[in-house]
Amino acid sequence: MRRPKMGPKMDPMRAVDRVLGPGPDEALTAAARARLTAILHEQAAPVYYDVLPDSLLGTVYLAAGDRGLLAVGLATDETRFVRRIAEQHGRRPVRSPLHLQEARRQLQAYLCGERSVLDVEVDLSGVSPFHREVLEAARRIPRGSVVSYGEMAKRLHRPHAGRAVGQALAHNPVPILIPCHRVVSAGGRLQGYLGDRIGLKAKLLKLEGVPMAGDRIVVGGRVS
Amino acid sequence: MPDPTFEALVERHSAEIHAYLWRLLHDPEMASDVLQDTFLRAWRAFPRLNHRDHLRAWLYTIATNRARSLQRAHARREMSQIGLSDELSDPCASVAAQAADRDLRSRVLAAVDRLPAKQRQALVLRRYQELGYDEIAAIMGGSMEAARTNVHLAQERLRMWLSDVDEGQTSERRGGQ
Repeated sequence: MRRPKMGPKMDPMRAVDRVLGPGPDEALTAAARARLTAILHEQAAPVYYDVLPDSLLGTVYLAAGDRGLLAVGLATDETRFVRRIAEQHGRRPVRSPLHLQEARRQLQAYLCGERSVLDVEVDLSGVSPFHREVLEAARRIPRGSVVSYGEMAKRLHRPHAGRAVGQALAHNPVPILIPCHRVVSAGGRLQGYLGDRIGLKAKLLKLEGVPMAGDRIVVGGRVS
Repeated sequence: MPDPTFEALVERHSAEIHAYLWRLLHDPEMASDVLQDTFLRAWRAFPRLNHRDHLRAWLYTIATNRARSLQRAHARREMSQIGLSDELSDPCASVAAQAADRDLRSRVLAAVDRLPAKQRQALVLRRYQELGYDEIAAIMGGSMEAARTNVHLAQERLRMWLSDVDEGQTSERRGGQ
């Protein structure tokens, strides 16, 4: 290989230009745009909601689009839930018991302890890839067991991302369906659910057979 | 998308905003995520928008804010995750030359990342997105003078930090030995 000729001192900004100037290659931009367009198209589809009153967790609100359940609202009211869905999805949801019939039926049975598995399609397409990864992992935690935030981070091959995992779970759009309540602190403390609704988390875990004492999991309900 | 005006906005500006985010974040996945986030926010806010005169600057503003909050939220990724562009992984270049390119790329990106956020944004907006200082001022929420100063300071710092880069590293290598 020839040695580069020594020339006059060059402007270091040429090096910056060389790295940043060309920008992303076309395939990358095309892929990003395709993903964006698909998501925006989905945003235009109608969103429906319905209400499940008097459940174990109080009134539960459900919203769904054509591809599955988009949101489960706990500890809220109809006005706030509708507003949240409108803000998140760009349009006001329409109340439609018909569209939510199956999800509502299953959830009702689950919260009465008459059903142990929920088989409802969930639509996470509006969730960022990392958050989706966390939520999918939470979905695999079986009923009756709990996992710590740190363990979740390890399972995602990001052992130091415990806090980011907590953030992703805090933004779970479909609690109960994606059982973020099964993720607890390493010491077995429940630590956070929909802000400060730890009582709801405890009720869900109890329903699923995890032995609880106040907001702590007792021996036998081991934290992995 | 039911709104043809918004659809046109995506068509016209998404590639440009993507390039901007790629240059700010140096990571294809993050750039794509923030692009999505930017346009989703724009889509939600669009019906409530009173003036539709400066939509391009508006998109840049959202993208800048989203990129900034993402960078705050996430620790910087390892430089090793940075993908090499086609140009830098030229098969005609020797192994040593490719390694030198990788080093150069890492050094440049590390230097760009060291810049204060405002200087980095202003530099990318001016030098690579080729926006006017009036537009940069509108996007970043300052004066034109502040935009000019930020670009100037960014270049001054980069020149200082990268003063020892080897000219051979930045010469064109296409076409063989």
